[in-house]
Amino acid sequence: MSDATFRPATEETPLARRLLITLVVLGLGLLVLAPLVVVFVEALRQGVGEALASLTHRDAWAAIRLTLTIAAISVPLNAIFGVAAAWFITKFDFRGKAVLITLIDLPFSVSPVVAGLCIVLTFGANTAIGGWLVGQGYPIVFAMPGIILATMFVTFPFVARELIPVMIEQGRAEEEAALTLGAGGWRVFWTVTLPNIRWALLYGVLLCNARAMGEFGAVAVVSGKIRGQTATIPTTIEMLYQEYLSVAAFTLAAVLALLALVTLLLKTLLELRHADQLAATHRH
Amino acid sequence: MHIEIDAISKSFGATAALHPVSLAIPSGALVALLGPSGSGKTTLLRILGGLEYPTSGRVLFDGQDATGLTVQQRRAGFVFQSYALFRHMTVFDNIAYGLNARPRGTRPPKAEVARRVTNLLDLIQLPDIGSRYPSQLSGGQRQRVALARALAIEPRMLLLDEPFGALDAKVRKELRQGLRDIHDTTGLTTIFVTHDQDEAMELADLVVVMSGSQSGGRIEQIGKPQDIRARPASAFVRDFIAA
Amino acid sequence: MKAPLIHRSPMPGLGLSMGITLTMLSLVVLIPIGALLLKGASYGPAGIWETVNRPRVWAALFLSFRLSLIAALFNLVFGVLLAWVLVRYRFPGRRLLDGAVDLPFALPTAVAGISLTALYAPTGAFGSLADQIGWKIAYTQWGILIALIFVGLPFVARTVQPVIEEIEREVEEASATLGASRLYTLRHVILPMLMPAALTGFALALARAVGEYGSVIFIAGNIPLVTEIAPLLIIIQLEEFNYDAAAAIGIAMLLISFALLLAINLIQVWSRRRIGHV
Repeated sequence: MSDATFRPATEETPLARRLLITLVVLGLGLLVLAPLVVVFVEALRQGVGEALASLTHRDAWAAIRLTLTIAAISVPLNAIFGVAAAWFITKFDFRGKAVLITLIDLPFSVSPVVAGLCIVLTFGANTAIGGWLVGQGYPIVFAMPGIILATMFVTFPFVARELIPVMIEQGRAEEEAALTLGAGGWRVFWTVTLPNIRWALLYGVLLCNARAMGEFGAVAVVSGKIRGQTATIPTTIEMLYQEYLSVAAFTLAAVLALLALVTLLLKTLLELRHADQLAATHRH
Repeated sequence: MHIEIDAISKSFGATAALHPVSLAIPSGALVALLGPSGSGKTTLLRILGGLEYPTSGRVLFDGQDATGLTVQQRRAGFVFQSYALFRHMTVFDNIAYGLNARPRGTRPPKAEVARRVTNLLDLIQLPDIGSRYPSQLSGGQRQRVALARALAIEPRMLLLDEPFGALDAKVRKELRQGLRDIHDTTGLTTIFVTHDQDEAMELADLVVVMSGSQSGGRIEQIGKPQDIRARPASAFVRDFIAA
Repeated sequence: MKAPLIHRSPMPGLGLSMGITLTMLSLVVLIPIGALLLKGASYGPAGIWETVNRPRVWAALFLSFRLSLIAALFNLVFGVLLAWVLVRYRFPGRRLLDGAVDLPFALPTAVAGISLTALYAPTGAFGSLADQIGWKIAYTQWGILIALIFVGLPFVARTVQPVIEEIEREVEEASATLGASRLYTLRHVILPMLMPAALTGFALALARAVGEYGSVIFIAGNIPLVTEIAPLLIIIQLEEFNYDAAAAIGIAMLLISFALLLAINLIQVWSRRRIGHV
């Protein structure tokens, strides 16, 4: 044995290491990277022109507009909820806090299809609330409000769950100091709390948005998938795919895949730059 | 066991940790490696235990070259500064670990393992804590369990890295005597690392004073406590033991 | 004396933050789930049982749960390996690989569904290879399994990674000085330390897989009794305006989710109690 062949007590043999690395690269390559590559290969199968042409089709365009609208409404609403819930939970002491946190996390463990089902059973035209709303001219299910509710349901915990650990760690001292200096509630929030949680908030919003734009199961249940009206990008992908319009389906899929890649990139950047201000990197 | 360190040096990349040092430790001695942080004393201890490989030089156990022996082959009872107890195992399982980890042919039968663990718990004067988990012990108790765990493998020597470092002053005094007693009972060659000159002077038969520099740690003086006090070999030693 | 419901506090915004939190939580989550449970209650346990206790429903629930369990077990083993390699080894492309682990979280399920199908269909890149040895993947239970492995892949790796990062090197060294081989150390020291986190990740992956819809339906074939998963059955019942049956299956799935959520919490309580902080 020499210095070069000495193996520290905390390491595996070089052969075992190489074996494990190969296994993991192969596994991730086959299971995760290959499907990502295939999306772009299939989209460009008949050339860039064909792919772009399918994007400008009326239905595809309507789906993109609808998905953007849904995200533009549901993500800010969930951000407001997340900030309010994190404030309520971390700045006050009350009984039942653990139960409240569990309830906020609940949507993560409910199947999206069951989530959609719940909304249909609450606001469907044949229910008391839903029937009345339809009578007033505000249908929920098979219309935009239902899609927004379903999207909010499945993305509900994202922002709150990211903010709560960060705000627990930061404590209340800075806010209390600001209060003793005579600042009012909103001033404390805008000038003290928000600057401290902005990166965590952005992180939560980022993940929330990615999921909101990509949600399929819950939206499929509540939207009715009316082409050009209530079909989002993911449900349009399904319809095109089932009509064997492969290029069109995969081109829309590529748009969402690009969104996922950008989200991952921004997420990684946030984790590298602002690790100390994120809950996620503390968990990692 | 007689231990000889023959011109051992160690560098981590560009930084030198140990200037070549040589040292002979007679069988059955209780030796303190004393020095400030950065003097390479822990590195030297880890080289003896087989946890680091020297950049140059040799280690001899009873005259035999042991430089190439793996950690497992060295059978050095090593007590870590943080104790490194296995937190998901009871005290009993911690102490029995080294015996159970032996290959099937040389592994003692269950009853024999239990007998030895019981004896060791008696030796560290904590006979009733076998079923507890490390998180349920005080700092002093953890240190003694770590010592018992190291002794269970019938080590050829005992190596301790700052064994009293994580304890408060009162417990520290009690455990010094405990280590002395265990050394005297087992007769093992024992080497411990410390930065506390009181501890070294009070406990050890032989004190090795080390100092750090850009070119790595080096040995300033080797001697009996009273000799080092009476005749410090350098200004560094005089200042360090006066502090 | 009992503690007050809400402690007095100098912090501003109690009314507003509590109001927003409780209103939105009720409107978006609690009332809809309540509506499902209410529907179930009006239907009665006997009614639910009558709906669930049909071959097609049993087959779907059993299929969903069985394949989810196999997928989660695969991810348990692969996730621990993955976490170990990503934390402990340095090799070119490690960062890229680390990023790729999150892809199943980020990629919309419908996208994953059609691309997995394109890959594993008999005409696809992997499917045609498998076809040559007579192995059909897409439109069989194998296809469903692959989709479920895909969606559950990050959970175990991501829960185990931080635990591996926190292992003190000295604990592994202690094991070696006591004579244990590397394999013995991994098996008896490292693995037990990772187990609580790995089991949590396993339960999360299982819960996700049981409820998964989007990535599965394209590759599944959706043949009743053979490759029809429980969430799809709910959608079929809804499309036939069979709300009672949909609700009954939904409640059965909700109960499975709650049981898994409870299991996750119990694992965490158990491991905290046992290991504590050293």
